[in-house]
Amino acid sequence: MVATAAATLGGGRSRPRRVLRAHAGTLGSGSVPVLFLAALFVYPVARLMLFSVEGGSLKHFERALLDGLHVRVFIDTLRIASLVTLLSFLLGYPVAYFLASAPRAWATAGLLFLIVPFWTSVLIRTYAWTVVLGRNGVINRSLIGLGVIEEPIAMLNNEIGVLVGMVHVLVPYMVFPIFSVMRRIDPSLAQAAEGLGASGWQSFSRVYFPLSLPGVLAGTTLVFILSVGFFITPAILGGGRVIMIAVLIERQVHEFSNWGFAAALSAVLLAASLAAYGALSLALRDRR
Amino acid sequence: MPFSFERRVVLVGVVASAALLAATVGRAPAQKPEPRKPDHIVVNAAGGAVNKALREAFFSEFERRYGIRVVDTSPTDFGKLRAMVQSGNAEWAATEINEADGERASRMNLLEPLDRTVIDLSGFPKDIEQHKYLLTRGIYTTVLGYRTDTFAGKPHPQTWAEFWDVRRFPGPRSLRNSPIDNLEFALLADGVKPENLYPLDVDRAFRKLDEIKKHVAVWWTTGAQSAQLLIDKEVVMGTAWHGRFYTAIKDGAPIAIEWGEGLIHRTPFGIPRGSKDAYWGQRFLAILAEPQAQARYANLMSYPGLHRDAIRYTDPKILPFLPTHPENLKKQAWANPAWWFENGEKATERWSRWMLAR
Repeated sequence: MVATAAATLGGGRSRPRRVLRAHAGTLGSGSVPVLFLAALFVYPVARLMLFSVEGGSLKHFERALLDGLHVRVFIDTLRIASLVTLLSFLLGYPVAYFLASAPRAWATAGLLFLIVPFWTSVLIRTYAWTVVLGRNGVINRSLIGLGVIEEPIAMLNNEIGVLVGMVHVLVPYMVFPIFSVMRRIDPSLAQAAEGLGASGWQSFSRVYFPLSLPGVLAGTTLVFILSVGFFITPAILGGGRVIMIAVLIERQVHEFSNWGFAAALSAVLLAASLAAYGALSLALRDRR
Repeated sequence: MPFSFERRVVLVGVVASAALLAATVGRAPAQKPEPRKPDHIVVNAAGGAVNKALREAFFSEFERRYGIRVVDTSPTDFGKLRAMVQSGNAEWAATEINEADGERASRMNLLEPLDRTVIDLSGFPKDIEQHKYLLTRGIYTTVLGYRTDTFAGKPHPQTWAEFWDVRRFPGPRSLRNSPIDNLEFALLADGVKPENLYPLDVDRAFRKLDEIKKHVAVWWTTGAQSAQLLIDKEVVMGTAWHGRFYTAIKDGAPIAIEWGEGLIHRTPFGIPRGSKDAYWGQRFLAILAEPQAQARYANLMSYPGLHRDAIRYTDPKILPFLPTHPENLKKQAWANPAWWFENGEKATERWSRWMLAR
């Protein structure tokens, strides 16, 4: 998953044609990463996929695609992943914009704040949210203390908790690629647009934003792909009520050692992720 | 190749010393010679606090006795055990394994039989003494815990029927996000006698679970979460493995354990079939079965062993928190791993369906 995402990141960078031409002469060095990916990513994934058709039968895929439970969980997973991606974009784009246009020192400090949480384990960050969002958590107790509400608001052990926890973990993955693309946008382009009579909004929406789209594509792909595979955060913050496909895959591997079925579920998940990526990049290409 | 003089001397020497050894040992001629001591053996277990306590209670004793280092790995992983044995490269001398996986591994012939000439099982309950492949290192119980401040000066729920009784004992509850234990608790709540639990009547259990579903605020996933829910007062009563509650209580949380109708589970150890250190694995399991070592572990983790003498060496302060305390033991029921090994996957899938149904 991460490897695909990283590959996409590389491919999604802006002005791809020029970049490609610049590297055309060094094809030899380019084949090293390809070999690396083939050996450490493509081969193991292919081996995994082989498990799903063990004995030449498609029974695992039948169960994965026709059973109401799994279909429902797939749909929920894709829906939650899309919501998380959208929320991460809405939060992350302004942050990236601010950092890209801020003076260097500010940008460095801002990036540092984004990176620091990576040193804390996801598990601990997830538990921290239970303290904030819980029935007797910081928010509910403050609101009750201030007399704003009488009964605690349910923000934990449901989908709200899952969304908050996942967005918190994933926002940096949205910010970094957008930021790196924005940094390379020539500021004189926006000035030129304004010089030609565009309003501030027009110069943003018709010049700046389209130029930042490769970063948005990379960021949304990364966040979407990471969120479809999320496991522990939805399990804890969803209070058991939010089931994502990774939970079912983990159970098949760990509890029932049914690797064939786990592989089939993974294959469907991979196909859905690739389809979503394909649709997204097509949509964004049309806009350019 | 001519038979060289040196070789002959060596051979004579070996024969002579073997004869000498046989003469000294005398009464144990059938005993296989001790293999060469490895630098270390690998023991696999759950990890974290468990491995730390295992080191203090058992690994250090093994190292002292045999002069072989114990390297520990984690977590317990059935898939890895299977892959290891089937590829003929079993590096673990012994591994912890959960009870249903233990049954699975025994039936799939993935474990070495226990060597009863090395491991003394005479102090154990009969069914544990007789298991061909698994040594039950200890037990843990899934129990009901409750906030002492919520139920101060009032009766607290003591049975699953009372846990289900939301009118007499109001307040949000938590249960594990798994059919394991919960099917049993539902049947007990519905009036099934502990001795008649298995085979579980799954339909009846889910019907009973329907009644409690909307009163369960949280379905917990990790052990840490189960106790934290009561500490944060997210719920006023819930289930957990007793050691999780014990740790919270020791740290001052206003929580108490109700042992009534708790469900006892075993934590077995086994030796991967074909392990290169199987000989030392048997000796390691022998230490796991010793009452003094079991007591040391119980003092650290509140997860006691089943050797009948272990309780004698246990810190009296911790005894009330142990499922093996006679007062607690008589109130609990035993889980049946064989049923779960056979029906676990079906039950879990039904559980997910039930969970998604509104």
